[in-house]
Amino acid sequence: MSPPETGSRRRRGAVLSAMSLNLDSEDDFCLEENRFKQYCAEFIKHSQQIGDDWEWKSIKDFPDGYMSKTHFQMKNGNTSLIFKDSTKESDDQILTHVEEALDDSQVAGICATSEVIRYEYHVLYSSSYQVPVLYFRACFLDGRPLTLDEIWEGVHECYRARLLEGPWDTITQQEHPLLGQPFFVLHPCRTNEFMAPVLANSRRENRNINYITSWLSIVGPVVGLNLPLSYAKLVSEQNTKAD
Amino acid sequence: MAEVEKQLLLSPQDSSRGECGEEPPNVGTAVGVAEPAPPSAGSPVTEEPAEDTKKKIDVLLKAVGDTPIMKNKKWAVERTRTIQGLIDFIKKFLKLVASEQLFIYVNQSFAPSPDQEVGTLYECFGSDGKLVLHYCKSQAWG
Repeated sequence: MSPPETGSRRRRGAVLSAMSLNLDSEDDFCLEENRFKQYCAEFIKHSQQIGDDWEWKSIKDFPDGYMSKTHFQMKNGNTSLIFKDSTKESDDQILTHVEEALDDSQVAGICATSEVIRYEYHVLYSSSYQVPVLYFRACFLDGRPLTLDEIWEGVHECYRARLLEGPWDTITQQEHPLLGQPFFVLHPCRTNEFMAPVLANSRRENRNINYITSWLSIVGPVVGLNLPLSYAKLVSEQNTKAD
Repeated sequence: MAEVEKQLLLSPQDSSRGECGEEPPNVGTAVGVAEPAPPSAGSPVTEEPAEDTKKKIDVLLKAVGDTPIMKNKKWAVERTRTIQGLIDFIKKFLKLVASEQLFIYVNQSFAPSPDQEVGTLYECFGSDGKLVLHYCKSQAWG
């Protein structure tokens, strides 16, 4: 990770290290904006190799940018039918296999366009928290945006109970810092906490990891975004080469 | 014991059974292990059937950070067990409260999605006949 930017942070970090037995202060794992962009670039490079549709979006006249991906999903979280974004130049719509367990009534439901949801995910950098933040929005194909209740229904069962219990890490609706439009946000206040052990471990083991890949693999599934395992293999290959 | 064994094998999706605990290869106190294995179980874990017919894979669980270390680290896990199932099992084993989140990582850095099957992870990341998974407790999600 990069060294702290200011003298006061370095002093504070040293004091914390001296005071506690835990040498891995959370401050050591803050993500600098330039590193954020580097990790995003590596991530997108791999995404292009595997056709995962992540892109970097820049804002005209601003140095800021963000990673973006759009995908389609069934309302009940059934992702066995996934359509590629028809607005993209590349391919025709690709229909993946339909689960055999579906009966006729379910198939008819799937064909109804109102059941298909368009999810848009943005990965931005938060200067105040010094971590990446996941913004997302979702709408039906007829343009109707999902309500917060409907978003909650889409949260993976694995996380729903705990998210509802928690007062901090929640899904809230905020204005997108760069686009000025309403988006849902997975609050970043605890990101450092759950990233710290992973980063500390990688430092101890002298392994290179991509912060964005690790972070997104953790937070993404909460809101229906699953990273293909290929991203994890990429890290492994890099470490093998380094050995 | 035999009855429990049969039920465990017939209902692999029932995570409350903790079937990750059956037939741990190198631990003395096993949970729910019966003598005669029903036909569907194939050979006991200690034998080496052909890779593609092996129903269970060996998983080594390693703690990250200040997460409690499991006394039994090696488990034989059904290929179709999901990450979510494994998370539920480890949380029960470590007696974590519901509000504590547990993350599982492959390659010490990547969290597979909850629906990912352990068998697939073994095929991608397994080596020396086992899959190493790191687990980490966090308060992140409240």
